[in-house]
Amino acid sequence: MKKPMIFSQFFRNNGVIMGSALMGLVGFWLIFLVVLPQLSMLDYSFRFNLPPAEVGGPRDVYTLSNYQHLIYGSDKTHSTYNTVDLMVFVRTIIAAILVTVFNILLCYPLAYFLGQSKGSGFVRLLVVLLIIPYWINEILRAFALRIIFGDSGLLNEVLMFLHLTKEPIDFIRQDIALYAGLGYAYILLMLFPMYNVIESLDRNQIEAARDMGASWARIHRRIVIPHAKPGIVSGATMVFMLSAGALAAPQILGGPSSLWFTQLVYQWFNDSLNWQQGAAYAIVLLVSTIIIVLTVMRIFKVNMGDIGK
Amino acid sequence: MSSGVAVDLENVWIKFGDFVAVREANVNINGGDFFSFLGPSGCGKTTILRAVSGFLEPSDGRVLIGGNDMAGIGPNKRPTALIFQNLALFPLMKVWENISFSMEVTGASAGERRKRADELLDMIALDGQGDKLPSELSGGQKQRVAIARALCANPDVLLLDEPLSALDLKLRQHMRTELREIQQRVGITFIYITHDQGEALTMSDNVAVMKAGVIDQIDTGHNIYDHPSTPFVASFVGENNVFRGTIKSVSGNEAIINTNRSGDLLARITPTQVGKLGVGDDAMMFIRPEALELGKAQETETTISANVVNEEFEGNSFSVFLEGDGGKQIKMSVPNLGQDNISAKGENLALHYDAANAVVMPAGELASE
Amino acid sequence: MNSKSIIRIALGAYLIIFFSYLLGPLVVMSMTAFNSSGFPSVSPWACFTFEWFRVLFDDKHIRDGIYYSVIIGLGTVLLSVSMGLAASIVLTQVWAKFRSTYYTLIIAPILVPGVVLGISTLVFWDRVGSFLGAGEGSFLNDLFHNGIFLTILGQSSFIASYAMLVFVARLQRFDTGLTEAALDLGATHTQAFRKILLPFMRPAIASASVLAFLASFENYNTTTFTILKYKTLTTVLAQKVRLGINPSISSLAFIIIVLTILAALTFEAYRRNQDRKFAISQGKAVEKSGGFLPSFMRGNPAAIMLVLVSIVVIVLVGTAQRYSPQECKVQVREAKQAEIQLRIEELRKQRLIKDQSEARQGPDIFGTPSPDEEEASKPSGAFGGVFDPNNLSSETEEEESSGGSGAFGGVFAPTNLDNGDGN
Repeated sequence: MKKPMIFSQFFRNNGVIMGSALMGLVGFWLIFLVVLPQLSMLDYSFRFNLPPAEVGGPRDVYTLSNYQHLIYGSDKTHSTYNTVDLMVFVRTIIAAILVTVFNILLCYPLAYFLGQSKGSGFVRLLVVLLIIPYWINEILRAFALRIIFGDSGLLNEVLMFLHLTKEPIDFIRQDIALYAGLGYAYILLMLFPMYNVIESLDRNQIEAARDMGASWARIHRRIVIPHAKPGIVSGATMVFMLSAGALAAPQILGGPSSLWFTQLVYQWFNDSLNWQQGAAYAIVLLVSTIIIVLTVMRIFKVNMGDIGK
Repeated sequence: MSSGVAVDLENVWIKFGDFVAVREANVNINGGDFFSFLGPSGCGKTTILRAVSGFLEPSDGRVLIGGNDMAGIGPNKRPTALIFQNLALFPLMKVWENISFSMEVTGASAGERRKRADELLDMIALDGQGDKLPSELSGGQKQRVAIARALCANPDVLLLDEPLSALDLKLRQHMRTELREIQQRVGITFIYITHDQGEALTMSDNVAVMKAGVIDQIDTGHNIYDHPSTPFVASFVGENNVFRGTIKSVSGNEAIINTNRSGDLLARITPTQVGKLGVGDDAMMFIRPEALELGKAQETETTISANVVNEEFEGNSFSVFLEGDGGKQIKMSVPNLGQDNISAKGENLALHYDAANAVVMPAGELASE
Repeated sequence: MNSKSIIRIALGAYLIIFFSYLLGPLVVMSMTAFNSSGFPSVSPWACFTFEWFRVLFDDKHIRDGIYYSVIIGLGTVLLSVSMGLAASIVLTQVWAKFRSTYYTLIIAPILVPGVVLGISTLVFWDRVGSFLGAGEGSFLNDLFHNGIFLTILGQSSFIASYAMLVFVARLQRFDTGLTEAALDLGATHTQAFRKILLPFMRPAIASASVLAFLASFENYNTTTFTILKYKTLTTVLAQKVRLGINPSISSLAFIIIVLTILAALTFEAYRRNQDRKFAISQGKAVEKSGGFLPSFMRGNPAAIMLVLVSIVVIVLVGTAQRYSPQECKVQVREAKQAEIQLRIEELRKQRLIKDQSEARQGPDIFGTPSPDEEEASKPSGAFGGVFDPNNLSSETEEEESSGGSGAFGGVFAPTNLDNGDGN
């Protein structure tokens, strides 16, 4: 009879008023804002998109058709595949992975530099410089990149001025703008976990290794990176989830050929008003990203407790 | 000020899962007593304190304060006040606010609280310091503020959890006397826990010696020292020479023990074992270093022959380390009355003692160093 | 060169590239706020102007967006800070076996894509409404479909996790003996919480609140689904950016950047001040009196630069009162028209050459695209850019280039070029 004991112990430790307040808030949060909504969405994804009059009626049954739509499209015979949507899905995931890897490579040197320097004014200045872009709305940041990458944008003007190209490169159509934008968006989220973890590495270990004649490559491979693993994985997880689930950047920087999976969800909800279909797609996105993240965490032997700033 | 109130533990057991922290504790503390629980770390004394103050409920048995069963009554409703080992002064409140906190929770006005705080500050000789923050006080001052804060709550019982362990030697000795004085002035029951037997002996009316959850003996400090009832108490409190052997003969409250290495020795049976100790029982005899004297070499049942190994000057006494037959280690303590030394290395001495100062009891576990 | 200086150079280059990538777009965007061309650009630079700021302030959508963003922000702060605080306290007390499950649950919202959070909130409360039998027009039905209600709930679900992380860090330094002491002295649990724990948590509550407000204010992924009939600044911006760009957005960005820098510097100055006060109280530093620069600026090159920039901006603003961009614009327009005139002359010449060569070769029945057609059909390029609708800067220019009116008539219309002779 352990369960009741825990509750009575809890109320004894906290008093009735405080105990109820604590349980109430946490319960409300977890149940009503996290668990139940996800279950609702899951439930919706298995239902038909019925007009309000038919809800609860005979046609309101469970179905896999929303999921089937992702794979087969509107074809009821299941003979052709919904290549458009599937391609979008695959591309989103792969792009997210690429962006994550790019971010890791980009941020690692800086994280190392910041983490291992003493807290001088220069370092503090760099940190401030890092944080400022992130106080600025992600929409505005995407917009800034849009200006630069646009047809008559700065980058094209500079390239043409330098006579590197004769005509403007359509960065947007080529998806470069989008990837640059995504890489840009989450740098801080990759940087800070890595920085925190590297900072906790005792400088003496590196000194000792140098003393014993290890090359820098070896030092990084055998000492720094293993120590920084939780930070790297933590940052990578966040960047991956956020990239796969990004909405603003694709909407603003994406060309017609680089539709993002989240944009499909958005379309189902806002344009087609098919909440059920949108829910199914959202579930697919959620489940696949979680599976990828958990697999990576398992491979690199990191657990949930390491994620947190 | 409230007068002393009795505290009783009836058959108290405290278990955490399978681990028994306190086993069958039966203690009667008189109202107005200064009572100490003495024992090494982990013996369960803090657990008992928390059970009395209400942070723990016993798994079995009852805790009574003033004759009332305290089962189910939370710490904020019991007539106890606890002084924590790390004092737990509220760092964000001034000293006077700390002291008068117990009045704040009952809704007293700021004026009343300030007045009472000032009275108590006077009593602990910190008048005028009321507006400081705890971080601005020295260790001893913080101690006194903690005591004042607890007293302001007008408890029937004051509980103190090793309050002096963080202080340096001189301050500790000073505070011992002070605490005793405060207790006698205020007249409430003090329950004090410590691992320092010097504190327990000097301050308490009664002491309970504990080991691994079991209370070995409850008695006055004097009796605990002179008449320990278990080998643990004998070896934990003060220094003691221990002689192991078997009982050769018993007569009344005296017995002769055939020791393993030092021959037959006569000793008094510890009061709790009179009538229980029998011939052939495994036994231990204890004799304090200061109870050994130098005498003429002779073979009696109260003489031990040994060779001097070393002599140390302790200031107020000489400690002589000797080795008897079979390598038996013996320590003798002689007061410093101006002698240059007591013995010479290698010298063979005959150590005499009065049988009344040696105590024998069934063999048992000794206190480990 | 030894390896150490190679590393230094490489490091320097890396830092420069990194920070250009990071800050470059922002600098460019700020500059476009002052360019009078209709599409935010830095080159060609038309005229220096403040008019986009005026457009910004006049924009009702943006004002509404800011208003609702603030309201939602405040609501989210209240809800997420309380939930986060409760969750962190419970975390310290939860039974060891459940602790990792519990922790995973309360951290999970951070990892869930914002889109999913938004959708699930929307769907769930709609369901609750129909479950409770709330019909159209009833209070509950309105509530569960109210953009502000839904957005606050949706955002709080993950912002509470962030708040919780802040609180957990602070709680770890809390001495639980203090709560016990309070209880022992007769306080009720609520009193102990109010008088002992809460004051200790106050700095964490402050920083969590700021964090929560900022996170709420700038949230897009979740908000865009839950906001329904309302709008926040981010959704307004997103709409604008996708539908019609003009530099008023840049001016908003510029304002935000300046505010951010000011806030960062203020915070830095505050922190330096605290450090100095602490050092002084420890007897390590000495009160430095006098000196030309205020203390926070000493040794801080960024601050000095910012002060200089602010001075420059203030001077500019001051002169701008008298400086009117109108003249500049007229000049620009005239310059553009002169350029167009030149191009037309060139075209004429080319036409002439082509006609002459055609007269020698015979008409071109297959209609190979003429050079001018090629140019005209391209959406960009130095010439065609003038016609690009996105390049429309002010109303007057728009009128002139789109309509048939204006001094140059239909010459501007691309279609006119391949059949009109311009002769």
